[in-house]
Amino acid sequence: MNEDLEHSFVTQLEANQNIVHKICRLYTNSRDAHNDLFQEITIQLWRAFPKFRGDAKFSTWMYRVALNTAITLYRKSKRQIQTQDYEKISFKISSEDYDDTIEEQLKLMYSAVKDLNDIDKALVFLYLEDKNYREISETLGITEVNARVKMNRIKEKLRKVLNP
Amino acid sequence: MDQLEVLKKEWQKREQELPKLSYAAIYSMLLKKSSSIVKWIFFIGIAEMLFWIAILFFIPDSQHKILVEMGLHKISIYVNLVHYVVVAIFIFYFYKNYKRIRVTDTIGELMANILRTRKTVRYFVYYNIGMFVLSTIAVNLFFYFNMHHLYEVVDLGEQALSEEKFQTYFIITQLIVGLAFLGLLMLFYWLIYGTLLKRLNRNYKELKKIEA
Repeated sequence: MNEDLEHSFVTQLEANQNIVHKICRLYTNSRDAHNDLFQEITIQLWRAFPKFRGDAKFSTWMYRVALNTAITLYRKSKRQIQTQDYEKISFKISSEDYDDTIEEQLKLMYSAVKDLNDIDKALVFLYLEDKNYREISETLGITEVNARVKMNRIKEKLRKVLNP
Repeated sequence: MDQLEVLKKEWQKREQELPKLSYAAIYSMLLKKSSSIVKWIFFIGIAEMLFWIAILFFIPDSQHKILVEMGLHKISIYVNLVHYVVVAIFIFYFYKNYKRIRVTDTIGELMANILRTRKTVRYFVYYNIGMFVLSTIAVNLFFYFNMHHLYEVVDLGEQALSEEKFQTYFIITQLIVGLAFLGLLMLFYWLIYGTLLKRLNRNYKELKKIEA
């Protein structure tokens, strides 16, 4: 029984691991911290897994537990060195369709998102993941209207950072 | 076009650049230990309770003798009894709060639950500090008004002190030790809970701001 559960969990997490990696990338600044957070999220997911009833999609359930861990449970390591290189590697140009200005803008945009506070970042993350406002509000525990208002404010904030 | 929209498109395009962990790598993580904040709050809370209980066992015999001879023995037993009951109630609430914390709650609920746990811890801290201050003041007032008796009871050993000097020394020592202990206590709580929950508090405030 336990082995079945383990197998089912690891298989589903393996298939959906991108979600966790993206959160780790947004909430940490070094490879070590990334791995650390990934591990903590995995542990929290595994703990909560017996209660996962399958009435929601595994990935939907994952968003909540993973973000909860990143925002509230994770003890940020003190050795947090601001390594910008790590981000730059992750956001190097991958296609030729983009000219330099767009790429530059993207980089700025990405680092502006990373500079947001934990909660704003969670909102932006869910937005980037193409979640609608209902899903965003459910994950965070705020109303849909508030999520919308907040998102507009964040967009405004980001616009100001990019076009001062 | 909206800049965030551009980022969104790019965000989804770049999934393949993310690291890819194997089944075995993920599996091995299940066996690792969590280091979450909640766990630390809980452990520190338990350790704290044990500390207070342990301290009661380390009261030196000479102190005990003084209590008996000053006629404070009975009342100190009653006070301790009440103290244990209060501690037991705290442990119960503490455990209840801890059990309530579920990682599958919404972020808002989860944070509220963690902060509620912290509140219980905080009341426990207030209680302990209050109890310490009150009992120290009460005992010392009692000693002060029965100074002559105390002078006779306390075994000064080789040192011969006049009663007047003894009184001065006694009051000064009690004051310094009491304040130093209080300071240490507050520093300890400030360090432990202050640093552990700083970020959580900040995030909770952010979330509250959205709701307001």
